[in-house]
Amino acid sequence: MHIVSCVKQVPDTAQVKIDPETNTLIRSGVESICNPYDLVATEAAIQLTERYGGKVTVISMGPPQAESALRECLALGAHQAILLSDRAFAGADTFASSYTLAQAISRIASIDPVHLVICGKQAIDGDTAQTGPGIATRMGYTQFTYVSEIVSVNLESDIIRVKREVEGGSEIIEGRLPALLTVELKLATPRYASLPNLVSALTQKITIWGASEVGGLLERLGLKGSPTSVKEIFAPPVRKGGLLFDSTQNERAVEDFLDTLFTKELGRLDKPLVKDKG
Amino acid sequence: MPKNSKGRDIAEIIQDKCIACQLCIGECPVGAINMEGGVVKIDPEVCIGCGKCFDVCPVGAVIFEKPRKKKMTGIGQEPRPLEDYRGVAVFIEVRGSRGAEISWELIGKARELADKLDTQLFGLLLGSEVGLVAGDAIAYGCDTVYMVDRPIFKTYLSRVHGKALVHLCNQIKPEILLLGATPLGRDLASVVATQLETGLTADCTGLDIDRQQRLLLMTRPTFGGNIMATILCRNHRPQMSTVRPKVMKLPKKDPDRKGEIRNLDFAVSENKLPQIIDFIAEAAEAGTADITKSPVLVVLGKGACDSRSLPMLEELARLLGGTIACSRPVVQAGLLPYLRQVGQTGKTVAPKIYIGVAVSGAVQHLVGMQGSDKIIAINIDRNAPLVQIADYALIGDYSEIVPKLISGIQARRQGLKGSQQ
Repeated sequence: MHIVSCVKQVPDTAQVKIDPETNTLIRSGVESICNPYDLVATEAAIQLTERYGGKVTVISMGPPQAESALRECLALGAHQAILLSDRAFAGADTFASSYTLAQAISRIASIDPVHLVICGKQAIDGDTAQTGPGIATRMGYTQFTYVSEIVSVNLESDIIRVKREVEGGSEIIEGRLPALLTVELKLATPRYASLPNLVSALTQKITIWGASEVGGLLERLGLKGSPTSVKEIFAPPVRKGGLLFDSTQNERAVEDFLDTLFTKELGRLDKPLVKDKG
Repeated sequence: MPKNSKGRDIAEIIQDKCIACQLCIGECPVGAINMEGGVVKIDPEVCIGCGKCFDVCPVGAVIFEKPRKKKMTGIGQEPRPLEDYRGVAVFIEVRGSRGAEISWELIGKARELADKLDTQLFGLLLGSEVGLVAGDAIAYGCDTVYMVDRPIFKTYLSRVHGKALVHLCNQIKPEILLLGATPLGRDLASVVATQLETGLTADCTGLDIDRQQRLLLMTRPTFGGNIMATILCRNHRPQMSTVRPKVMKLPKKDPDRKGEIRNLDFAVSENKLPQIIDFIAEAAEAGTADITKSPVLVVLGKGACDSRSLPMLEELARLLGGTIACSRPVVQAGLLPYLRQVGQTGKTVAPKIYIGVAVSGAVQHLVGMQGSDKIIAINIDRNAPLVQIADYALIGDYSEIVPKLISGIQARRQGLKGSQQ
């Protein structure tokens, strides 16, 4: 089976912080990484090809440096990589991104039919979870979001069965291929790349497609094709701190705290007990 | 103002301000701007000093001092007849046979938005035997509920619900459409926005109206909650947004409120697939209470990620009528299930009392609990971010503090009982 895995290079958001005094982002030392959810998607794709045969094509839309995210996926065992990179793609919101990616996947499928597209549930920089469903809708593929387990794939009847996380639990659902899955972290654990894979990933050719290779309408790409725009950016509102009780300085700190709590917040504490909503 | 070797006035990037949105890369007519190490850089020799990057930068990270006025940035698409679209619509999510609480929270906020726009509030309802839910939607603030009541909507399927909601939007033409940022809402919103060819802003925590331009101001955390961004959808309708649960206030229900319920019919081709084979309830999976509903949460942080501490923390939670939750590292360590995780990638909670035990308070965690009524932080480190924002901070080793809290609360309760008798 032919699986396309979509990956995004993102800044390691855990390292991005805001300077409370100047209200600007502190970016020094922030690395670019492959979105963790997308690594899981790629690992799951590779595992499927190990089970059912076939190959994994990994694609990414981004600046030329996004190549390193693709190489990470090649090191895991993806078979080929395509980087969608063009100035015309820059400034895309999720609507324009899913357009570009769907165009590229259509082109890939015209060369070698695609059975499955796997994306991470969301990217850790934007956290929107919109690009995957956008691609599925544009391609007319069966869409399963929040997939935590791929139960089975039947290539003869073209049916895939997955477990997906929903409100209040999880469901087992099956649908027809081609399908697009967006996946949870618990679906798979990306393997440690073997040394030969690491070496070959460094030298493997990465195909680069620009706007003309991807095809489609230019006015639908990048900034021009994006219905949403950023108006402004600011630091998150901060709650002000209150009373401090230091038990390393004052032996009675806990008692003092409880005295205050019971005087000021007694109602809050005892109401839930009476109602016992928990 | 800096000049390049050709003597041109050139633009410069303030690195600390750049958020790597890459808008300027798309706008630069000569390709002088590139991403380098997570920020954009301008090649001074290629720059022609046109100032387009300055115009387009949303955060003022471009220095360009040639005297000129900052222009409005637009999208290069044909504007549609936006005035055809009127009214604010809320998609009402059905859970079991009742409306999901997030939908009522949305109606509360949407009522405010509709009043500011001097327009109607619509509820859009897809379900099976959901007449009572439609009535509730009126009671919470809808003017009109458009309802498609068919057995096929009993379970959620992206394709089926997507088609129906697209159909409703094309008929009703609301200028704003809000959905809950729940698994269902996020899935459905993406499908519908793509088909309606409009903008969608995910996971908003703030919504407001620019009355003059009749625009929805959609504010959301981004970069893992490190910054807030306000997003606009200028030239496409409806302006769509998903909103995190527990962010907007639940409005008061008024059973005497009058409104109209309109039954619409919509034919869906009933395919055999996709088909839901089985549903596994969360409680059955993990045997846990819903942390979003608990009035008191005792939240374990990385510093309290120790199975030996778990019984005493559970005891503290039980004593206060609450339950335990945790931050992400505790889930990663395998001590507690994902269902108990609070934060950006976990659940948003707003309990009456939040007690963070050795929770440092990374922004990703804070965005998931900032709506709590009272925040109590127990931490050895007085500089921990959670300590800075807590209403009450207890500094010290939690393993010593928590037992004292338990005995102290018990003693005071005994005392209270004694004085009441």
